[in-house]
Amino acid sequence: MIKVTDLSIRFGSREILKDINVEISDGKWTCLVGPNGAGKTTFLRALLGSQSYSGSITDDGLEVFRNHHRNVAFVPQFPQIPIGMSVSEYVALGRSKRDGWGNESKHSRNLVAEILQITGLFGMQSQYVSQLSGGEMQRALIARALVQEPTLILLDEPTSALDLHHQIAVLNNIELLKERGVTIISTMHDITLAAMYAEKIIVMYEGKVLLDGPSDQVIHSPQLQEAFENRINVFTLDSGRPVIVAKKDLKN
Amino acid sequence: MKLKGNESALSPIWNWKITALSFALLFFVAILAISFGPVPLSFQKILRTLFGLSGGLTGQERTLLIDLRLPRALLAALVGAALATSGAVYQTVFRNPLADPYLLGAAAGAGLGATIAITSAGADLYNLLPIFSFIGAILAVLVSFFISGKFFAEPNSLLLSGIAVGSFATAVQTYLQQRNSSSLRPVYSWILGELTVANWQIVTWSAIYILIALTILVTVSKQLDGLMLTDDEAYSLGINPNRLRVIAVIAATLATATAVSASGLIGFVGIVVPHLVRGITHRVTNRGLLTIALVGASFLVLADLGARTLLSPAELPIGVITAFVGAPFFLVVLRKKRLVTQ
Amino acid sequence: MFKNQTGSAFRIALLSLALSLLSFAPADAANPTPKRIISLSPSATETLFAIGAGAQVIAVDDLSNFPTNAPITQLSAFNPNVEALLNYKPDLIILNADATKALDIKTALEKLRIKVFLERAPDNLSRVYQEISALGRATGNVAGAQNVITDMKTKIKAALKSGRKARKISFFHELDNTLYSATSDTFIGKVYKDFNLANIADPAASADSAGYPQLQSEYLIKANPRIIFLADAQYGESIKTLAKRPGWNKVSAITKKNVIALPEDIPSRWGPRLADFYQFIATSIAKIA
Repeated sequence: MIKVTDLSIRFGSREILKDINVEISDGKWTCLVGPNGAGKTTFLRALLGSQSYSGSITDDGLEVFRNHHRNVAFVPQFPQIPIGMSVSEYVALGRSKRDGWGNESKHSRNLVAEILQITGLFGMQSQYVSQLSGGEMQRALIARALVQEPTLILLDEPTSALDLHHQIAVLNNIELLKERGVTIISTMHDITLAAMYAEKIIVMYEGKVLLDGPSDQVIHSPQLQEAFENRINVFTLDSGRPVIVAKKDLKN
Repeated sequence: MKLKGNESALSPIWNWKITALSFALLFFVAILAISFGPVPLSFQKILRTLFGLSGGLTGQERTLLIDLRLPRALLAALVGAALATSGAVYQTVFRNPLADPYLLGAAAGAGLGATIAITSAGADLYNLLPIFSFIGAILAVLVSFFISGKFFAEPNSLLLSGIAVGSFATAVQTYLQQRNSSSLRPVYSWILGELTVANWQIVTWSAIYILIALTILVTVSKQLDGLMLTDDEAYSLGINPNRLRVIAVIAATLATATAVSASGLIGFVGIVVPHLVRGITHRVTNRGLLTIALVGASFLVLADLGARTLLSPAELPIGVITAFVGAPFFLVVLRKKRLVTQ
Repeated sequence: MFKNQTGSAFRIALLSLALSLLSFAPADAANPTPKRIISLSPSATETLFAIGAGAQVIAVDDLSNFPTNAPITQLSAFNPNVEALLNYKPDLIILNADATKALDIKTALEKLRIKVFLERAPDNLSRVYQEISALGRATGNVAGAQNVITDMKTKIKAALKSGRKARKISFFHELDNTLYSATSDTFIGKVYKDFNLANIADPAASADSAGYPQLQSEYLIKANPRIIFLADAQYGESIKTLAKRPGWNKVSAITKKNVIALPEDIPSRWGPRLADFYQFIATSIAKIA
């Protein structure tokens, strides 16, 4: 269980996050939604432990800042793509924490092979990471997170750069983690997708949490409208699935 | 989940046989280098002398081998290893395949130091030239760190500071040379790089500094792979990227500064050798750092052999050879890795 | 011009050879006369052959083009290669102190039991004579050296007597067409000074501590030198090319046609032909008042 209490983060004179109080349960998929600049990425980095903060974030009772005892996988929105590195080498980096940097156990090698198969990258193992398409790159990132065998995975906009088909493929891959009991926290632009996959949604706006609760409730709440300045329409399909779209005429 | 098809068809990330092979390569190349030169020496006698057996070389020939060829080959190996390794490290730290050990103004700083030594008191300060160029290189890098301010370990801002510092140092050097035209030739030939008269004294102190730096680098080499990712990714994989960068840059700079003060500015080794090794092994992991060091050593020992023998009795500046050999190799490797048609 | 110098050099050589045969210096057991000398300095080469050590010289560097019968090789004067030198089995090497890493090379050679004579470029006339004597001692040609010196002194004295100007005449010594010059601190500057010529580069002496400042065209035109000596004549500069430079056609040296092309090499060598250089200057400026 991750407990966030009175979290605030400032960059110089700018307040990025203000007095955030939430709880995130283990084994569930929680999605942070909100417009650009709401502070989602910063929040994610604070949960990772690489961003300093005032207030408290605890994971199983321990503060997360610079706490290397956790096993957290991080999938950034804009990864640094090493030149000349093959896909298998890249994915294998995920085992570094377990094996110790520079070592490679047989178990690791097997696991990497397995995960490459699952994510459909096995045939591309010798290709350069820099040559992958957007969708393939994202799969490689997920694969790397998977081989880490993490307890918590943080994903920053995992689908923003992908086409429709790949969006679903990647999200399905991530959902596999739930079977293994991994806690998933992701930021997403696309609330429709968030509603499709996440059990819990946290709505953020200008550094504050407007709303946090089960997806169904949040989707149909007025605070969601507020966060997007009443520029969205929420429809429900016959199957019961919600679809959120932006309003076309923005005269106000 | 069970695998379908070939299990474990992945090749290991690093094959340590390659490292062993590069040790052997260096040994072989070194023996080759000390066996050739304008004065013909019997190969058998060379081996006997090296292993302390009877029937070896005597008199002038022995002095030639022990006091001239051997220190020179050793210095070439040390400098080659230093430049290749620090080039590889800089390429990782700055996430830039074109980085070389002279980034961050080290070369310009060393050149300025050398020029100050040469123009200050002529022959008297000439003996202190290595110290001056060493200090110059280190100072330039420190100033680069200082200028890049609170983002001091952030790769891009360090790079830019280095360019600024380098330009400034070069400008001052040019001014000094203009006012002391008698320094032009010595500085120029120093810049070209020369191992012409290595002696055991130079070899000793270079070895100390370079080996310390290389040991540090090879020890942290395993973690350096993490620096190729964003800082957050590296952090999630258990690394402190800022600290690692600082350690790596300091050690690499120490190696570079020592190499430069011993042998002038020898180019291309720091850029070409890392890519050569990565191209041949199809791996960019920094587990290969030790191999890069050994191949760098072999490369320079061979280049120096060429410098001594190709135009005998004249000496080719070693920088010319590394460029001539390095450039085509480099292009071949770049094309193969398709970095050019990215 | 050149024929005179070759001719007089030849006469000097012959004379010193004859004299050295007569004033035979017995070989010293502790300091045997070197029989296999390598000269890595063009000036030293000229001197060696003039003082009678020619027969002892087995190799000279690639720039030693005088005398023409010197055993010229590919050895470099400025980037000596210790091993290559070793191959000749020399017993004495004349090494230029300006050579790259000269001191290290000297140490290396001495470790190999080869004697080294470190030759420092003399910066005035009396040092030239000292160097010549020193070479004479080092090679066992003391008398020959003495003769060369005496001959030079005579010639220079005569040249100065006839050529030295009563009143200073301004001049410009051009090293190249970007107007690098040499001040009176340099060797060649001192030669001009001996003739009582006024060097327009002297006010710019602080610009280059080695004595080779670059002058500005404007300054030169204003200084209006009466004589111009061209050290770059071999690169195609002449009164014609100078006259074409903007603003130069009014300069006194050009209007009065006092532009003198210096012979190659001789101004940069301090050997016996230095005396010939003095004579050359004397003759060239004789008609200028």
